[in-house]
Amino acid sequence: MTAPSTGAPPGTGRRLLGLLTPRPYGWPTPVATAVGVVVALALSSALITLTGGSPSASVQALFQGSMADWTAWSSTLLYAAPLLLVAVGACVSARSGSFNIGQEGQVLIGALAAAWVGLRLAINGPVLIVIMLLAAALAAGAWAGLSSLMHRLRGVNVVVSTMLMTFVAQQVVAYAVNMPWLLQESRVGNAPVSPQSNPLPPSGLLGSFGEYPGLQINGGLILAVAAAVVIAVAITRTPWGFRLTMLGRNPLAAKHAGVRVNALGGAALAISGALAGLAGAVLLASPVGVNRLQPGMAMNIGWDGLLVALVARNRPLAAMPVALLFGVLRSGGGFLAATGVPSFLVDVVKALLVLAFVAPPVVVALARRRRSGGRTAGARQEAAPVAEEAIA
Amino acid sequence: MTTVDERARELTPPSTPALRLRGISKRYGPVVAADNVDLDVNRGEIHGLLGENGAGKSTLMKILLGLVQRDSGTIMRGDTPVDVHDPQDAVALGIGMVHQHFSLIDALTVWENVILGDTGRIDRAAACRQVEEVSRRYGLPIDPTARVERLSAGERQRVELIKCLRRDPSVLILDEPTSVLTQAESAELFTVLRHVVRAENRAVILISHKLAEITAATDQVTVLRKGKVVFHSATSETTPPELARQMVGRDVSLRAEGAALGMLPVDGPVPSGEPPAEPPPETPAESAAASSDAAPATTGTAPALRLRDLTVVIDGVTVLSDLSLDVAPGEIVGLYGVEGNGQSTLGDLLSGLILPSSGAVELAGRPVELERPGALHRAGLGIIPEDRHSSGVVLDMSVAENLVMKSIGDVSGRGFVSRRKMHAVARRLAAEFNIVAPSLDAPVRSLSGGNQQRVVLARELSAGPGVLVAAQPTHGLDVGAIEDMYRRLRDAASGGVAVLLISTELEEVMALASRIAVICSGRITGVLPAAEATAERLGMLVGGVAA
Ligand SMILES: Nc1ncnc2c1ncn2[C@@H]1O[C@H](COP(=O)(O)OP(=O)(O)OP(=O)(O)O)[C@@H](O)[C@H]1O
Ligand SMILES: [Mg+2]
Repeated sequence: MTAPSTGAPPGTGRRLLGLLTPRPYGWPTPVATAVGVVVALALSSALITLTGGSPSASVQALFQGSMADWTAWSSTLLYAAPLLLVAVGACVSARSGSFNIGQEGQVLIGALAAAWVGLRLAINGPVLIVIMLLAAALAAGAWAGLSSLMHRLRGVNVVVSTMLMTFVAQQVVAYAVNMPWLLQESRVGNAPVSPQSNPLPPSGLLGSFGEYPGLQINGGLILAVAAAVVIAVAITRTPWGFRLTMLGRNPLAAKHAGVRVNALGGAALAISGALAGLAGAVLLASPVGVNRLQPGMAMNIGWDGLLVALVARNRPLAAMPVALLFGVLRSGGGFLAATGVPSFLVDVVKALLVLAFVAPPVVVALARRRRSGGRTAGARQEAAPVAEEAIA
Repeated sequence: MTTVDERARELTPPSTPALRLRGISKRYGPVVAADNVDLDVNRGEIHGLLGENGAGKSTLMKILLGLVQRDSGTIMRGDTPVDVHDPQDAVALGIGMVHQHFSLIDALTVWENVILGDTGRIDRAAACRQVEEVSRRYGLPIDPTARVERLSAGERQRVELIKCLRRDPSVLILDEPTSVLTQAESAELFTVLRHVVRAENRAVILISHKLAEITAATDQVTVLRKGKVVFHSATSETTPPELARQMVGRDVSLRAEGAALGMLPVDGPVPSGEPPAEPPPETPAESAAASSDAAPATTGTAPALRLRDLTVVIDGVTVLSDLSLDVAPGEIVGLYGVEGNGQSTLGDLLSGLILPSSGAVELAGRPVELERPGALHRAGLGIIPEDRHSSGVVLDMSVAENLVMKSIGDVSGRGFVSRRKMHAVARRLAAEFNIVAPSLDAPVRSLSGGNQQRVVLARELSAGPGVLVAAQPTHGLDVGAIEDMYRRLRDAASGGVAVLLISTELEEVMALASRIAVICSGRITGVLPAAEATAERLGMLVGGVAA
């Protein structure tokens, strides 16, 4: 029962980071997590029953839609890929201590850039998709970078600005698909035009390995897994990752040690944006959607990706199975809605599961703190900063 | 001392144990932080607790507070065993503590910090009144509405004390309270403690590395070594050398180290060029340093460090004004002054944390582009920052990582950090600087206060700097480590390094520096060769009067 092991790093905002990044918690956490999941499942079944559904039928449907056969698996993986990309990006920014929560908008900006490039260039051959992906990453990276700039020039809080930029991004995309000279689909005869772009040319689509009805692995998934591995290695093994961790844990010491605090923080934000942008391009170019730019195409992938990172506690490799689980919930959730369970219940179930995974470490840490440190005046462990009261 | 004691005896009933510890033990893996400790703390007495860095002093106190759970042993109040499982229990028992590292929140005001952790409605007026009342009663002047970030170390200390005292503790624990205080502030603190003990019959446990303080301020003294009680005595029946010997387990030469212990009579100039332990290698730099006693201005060669007209204005307040100072290679220049006169700003500036409003820093004759991160470090300036907790270490990273933090490139190959190389460097430094850690992979947070300091010292000294800035380098170090620190600073200087020693301790500056610059209100009020520096002349300069 060593008190210091639960101490948070200095700084109010950093405390969150402290609670969400890996730490040896010992056995209470896994146990608490298991309990949490059971409770979440029990609550979910109760809710389904209350709204007139049958829990067992729901589980059946969930399974049918996500894992029952290769087709279901393929669709699960199609969702998992963009979720993983967003989550891996979120890991990078969270590690650096500046929280990017504007992925939903960055996904859209990425998709916008990819659609624009794909439709304007319309080259034949595989080079098109590569250019589209690059454009998406660059555009969304720059978009997220704006928040870092705002922070540096005007001291605007990064969390707030990244989030608000999401709404701007939504407006930008809505504008683009409503303007014929920009990206709105071309009029065919007298048919009414919708606020969406033309479909991408075949060379602008991400191909898949495997044939229907077998398992199909889309290029997007390969991209996402590669990104997770590269980022995991980069943040745990390279000098760059070392500086990033330093910056996240104690910016003052990082600055003292000669880390370019602003540049590195900005880069972390831009990388997380770029990965979200890639997710946008994947949503656009993989068979998960209709391969057109549409205002609603982000489908909350940005928000859910953040949750994936949260559950994985900012570890890119841990984000892989979590993204898969969220993919299951998405593809199975669609199926569930088809059986008559109200679709918002799927979101409730998802939220409960997230809580079940996220809450236990925090609860265990707080319980320990309560037992062995904390609230009383003057009664704090040496060296443990005390920002907790400021939040709690 | 005896007269005070006798008067006290009349005022208070004969000492009765407020708290008794019996057979307290605590292990952290292989480290025994407390080993079967017995300790009686009496009402109406100040009990001094001494021990080397990592001896287990803080741990023992944290056990008393319920912050750390003991493995075995009993805590008794009077004759009844009590349970201290959490800080609430400790509060109920009337035990309060001021920690080694302050636990105030900078962004909040004094009264907010004081009532932090209270339950119920927040009544600003009542809280302020209470702060004022406690501060009047104990003579701890403080403005309850001031923001903590604006306060000096001494004032913060007062806030911590008020926070404790308003809960009316019967046992008050102070963990190295004076390491960040000036002598005057320490003296004030001891007056308050006297009052708390004598007039209110409370018990005080005082942890300090300064033997002079312990002998002057305490009634009982206990020495811990490696978690064990090795010595206990009434303070009047022991001597500083005895205590030093008990602490370290060998005889300590109390000559140069006397300064560190705060027991050197400061009655005249102390020869500065104390020969290092080894016969000095006769480098030109060494002789320059030695001759600089007589002729301080080493003409000819460019100074290794030149501060030119540095002015720093923060929020409209001029914290440093036109500060100029040269340090030649091989020279130790002491920057002496009362805490809060701009030293920490200068430290921040030389750490690259803030930029001057005007002025320049030159290293080896070349101006440094201060805007560029890490420029000072690259130009060969090493710095031991004053507040090592906030900018010196990353508490949640490992000892090894903290040791290589500034030279991560050196332990990397082909784009990856080599854990093997990192550990090799860390092992070497840990051995060389006697860093006691549970393991090299343990977070720095789990080290004792003094060992955390050593991590910073090891990193900065080992980088082979051309200029070394040491701000309060001996704060929180035990006798042996201070001895070692002094030797290292002298060795560095005799090896040609320009050393700027920023210190609030007169004896330290007198013992080490060949020239002493005095800082007051952000400006240099005078520079004296050590030979001409007397306590009075320095005292006048410190007060802002040109000598
Ligand atoms: N949380 C912890 N985990 C592992 N080891 C610890 C932990 N806390 C303390 N220790 C170890 O216990 C020993 C005693 O530490 P403690 O902080 O009590 O020393 P101290 O006497 O206060 O020293 P100092 O004068 O340096 O402050 C040290 O060796 C330290 O490394
Ligand atoms: Mg200590």
